Amino acid sequence: MKTILDSPIHVDRRTTIKWLAATMVAANTACSTNAKFLGEEIPPVNDAGGNLLGVAAKSNGVGYGTDPDLMNPVVPWSRTMTRPQLETTSALCDFILPEDDRSPAASAVGVPDFIDEWISAPYERQQNDRGEILAGLEWLEQQSWNRFGHGFPSADDQQATELIDSMASSDPAATEQSDLVTFFNRFRYLAVGAYYTTEEGIEDIGYIGNVPIAGDYPGPSDAAMAHLSGVLEKLNLTMPD
Amino acid sequence: MAKHEGYDAVIVGSGAGGGMAAWVLASKGLQVLMLEAGRDYNPYEETPMFSAPRDAPLRGTGTTDKPFGYYNASVDGGWQVPGEPYTSAPGSEFMWWRSRMLGGRTNHWARNSFRMGPYDFKPRTRDGLGVDWPIEYDDIAPYYDKTEAIVGVYGRNDGLENHPDSAPGVLHKPPAPRVGELLIQAGCHDLDIPCVPARRAVLTRPIGDRSACFYATSCGRGCSIGAAFQSTTSLLPMALATGNLTIVTDAMVYEVSLNSDGNADSVNYVDKKTGTHEAASGRTIILAASAGETARILLNSKSKYFPDGAGNSSGQVGRNLMDTVGAGMSAQFPMLENRPSYNEDGARGLHLYIPFWLYKEQARGELDFPRGYHYELGASGRSEPGMGLGGIANFAGSYGKTLKEDMRRYYGSFLSFTCRGEMIPNANSYCEIDPDTKDQWGIPTLRFHYKWSEHELKMVEHFQETTREIIDRLGGILRSGDVSPEDAISKGGQIIHEVGTARMGNDPDSSVTNQYGQCWEISNLFIADGSVFSTKSHKNPTLTIMALAWRNSDYLAEQLKSKAL
Repeated sequence: MKTILDSPIHVDRRTTIKWLAATMVAANTACSTNAKFLGEEIPPVNDAGGNLLGVAAKSNGVGYGTDPDLMNPVVPWSRTMTRPQLETTSALCDFILPEDDRSPAASAVGVPDFIDEWISAPYERQQNDRGEILAGLEWLEQQSWNRFGHGFPSADDQQATELIDSMASSDPAATEQSDLVTFFNRFRYLAVGAYYTTEEGIEDIGYIGNVPIAGDYPGPSDAAMAHLSGVLEKLNLTMPD
Repeated sequence: MAKHEGYDAVIVGSGAGGGMAAWVLASKGLQVLMLEAGRDYNPYEETPMFSAPRDAPLRGTGTTDKPFGYYNASVDGGWQVPGEPYTSAPGSEFMWWRSRMLGGRTNHWARNSFRMGPYDFKPRTRDGLGVDWPIEYDDIAPYYDKTEAIVGVYGRNDGLENHPDSAPGVLHKPPAPRVGELLIQAGCHDLDIPCVPARRAVLTRPIGDRSACFYATSCGRGCSIGAAFQSTTSLLPMALATGNLTIVTDAMVYEVSLNSDGNADSVNYVDKKTGTHEAASGRTIILAASAGETARILLNSKSKYFPDGAGNSSGQVGRNLMDTVGAGMSAQFPMLENRPSYNEDGARGLHLYIPFWLYKEQARGELDFPRGYHYELGASGRSEPGMGLGGIANFAGSYGKTLKEDMRRYYGSFLSFTCRGEMIPNANSYCEIDPDTKDQWGIPTLRFHYKWSEHELKMVEHFQETTREIIDRLGGILRSGDVSPEDAISKGGQIIHEVGTARMGNDPDSSVTNQYGQCWEISNLFIADGSVFSTKSHKNPTLTIMALAWRNSDYLAEQLKSKAL
């Protein structure tokens, strides 16, 4: 399957489906991801991703245990994404969190590697995310080939927007979410958490704590109090003493 | 022959109750041995002060190995402890948090320290439910003052009904409220709901070697400057400094052994490092292993005198298990979007809270639930980013440059409301020895039964209605969904306030100890943890555990001195 990535041949959707189906049968893999894929007829992929992006390595399953060294943290488990999976991850990260005039793109601060760390972790929550994330990445890649004749990392803004819009829900309160919406929300959750915990992300969002203060805690700044006064006025409430 | 002997007191457990008992007794010149099931722990060297979430695996987020996050001060702890199972009976789902480390759960607790009030000690007299305590508020008030002075508690005396003031000069100055708290306070004032400074065991002025809070780095990691109270930076060092305390860690106590008179002779434990079984004897034995472990030790201590467990002729050991009623709601406040940034960390916990305010209505029968609850406010919206920030991302529902703008806009616009309420003891909530399960050393383990009653569910419903009123008044949008009280209420044990499994009382037929935590039937066996709570109250139990442990220890020391023991 790797040859698809190596050669710029056009693969139509029906062919992809056929290949996928054949791969599934040949590999005799269990379909752990029951993808609805917004009505598309693409069959589910196995939980290692598989196919266009290759099959993620098996995690070595080493957790950090119940008494890790808190002063010298290490990630004991191995990363598992294939290079193509990482490239698609990286591209999606940067469409979600692109560079702007205040902060760099997600890939510039290690977000794709963090997502690999996350889905490779041996814990239940991360293992649940693993199948969802890898299947979603595979879907993105397939769709990109089908619609544009190249992989997702080569998508331009318009193409990426088309694909992401077919996944992203504009209604966060929607209860009937398809697997793709779940995938996109989960991916975005991971990218955002990773991004805004970096130095660059913290500076962008304006968190200015975790510095020791001598003496009493000063409370809100004058600007923050002025803003609050305005809010209370609109609500017809009185500033507490 | 016991490996350790000749002590005036052998204390099992090193947390709030054990730490306090050790310090009180050691400072009176008594020789004290403390046995801790967990490993030695040094908060001065092991606390990851200031470490960034990005430097921890998975950004420090909770896993099954470390449920409260990588940096949380819990060793071999959490909802499951390796090799030490517990079970829930069919139809029950109880969660039991343990920490296997010196200082136990005091290393990571939220430090919320509210006094129980006069009503809380006589609830049956007030509403006919549950039981009264054998003591009244005035019996314990001086111990609250002494405990708060040693522990260090910030807060303010507001003279509120059933929320007693402290003696003058005891409380530390509370930290200034933050924007979210001021907003909620303004709304509460309009709705005639009190919103006042919270009380937390965090210093805002130094005590001895312990520094005042410097308003940075999470208290849940432990506090190497000693500002946030934990047994390992105050009570235990103080007790050790007397020269009268010996601490043995990795000592998993499983049994109280009686002598031929039926008195407590020693405790038996597994030395976890060698796997050997050892004994420690003393003139008195004090169990302070937590409500669950203490009940387990008593129930596993079967003898010809006590076929159902030591001191358990009443059948009350393990019974009356109570946890705090928990529920939570959150909302987004459009008016807080894009607000100016400032350092909103504060003391990394409650600055303001909402104490229960409807006692008079309750007494007049105007409410459909009998007991109180309080609100803990999640109001530091511009707190240190962790994985949870993703909640804002999915709230925004966007991506690209719009998402980055939305993140700046919504960060700090969420506030959360947490219910902490009183559970009334019921016949369906208890723990017992599971006949089919043993831990890695072959010690029989606990099986929990747990069921909330209508009293607790009605309380949660009231909390939900009131919270909606507050959110509406402040122009907020409920984000936590429309959830039934049955779904909103916490699981038993989840709030980690489990108490009541060896309750004190006036009647040996219906209680396990007298008012001093002294077992009715074994006069040199004492209990100094949450097991002895007759009822729960809605106040967080740690402060009361310490005040009672001090009172029990004073009594125990007098009894030893007068040779009554």
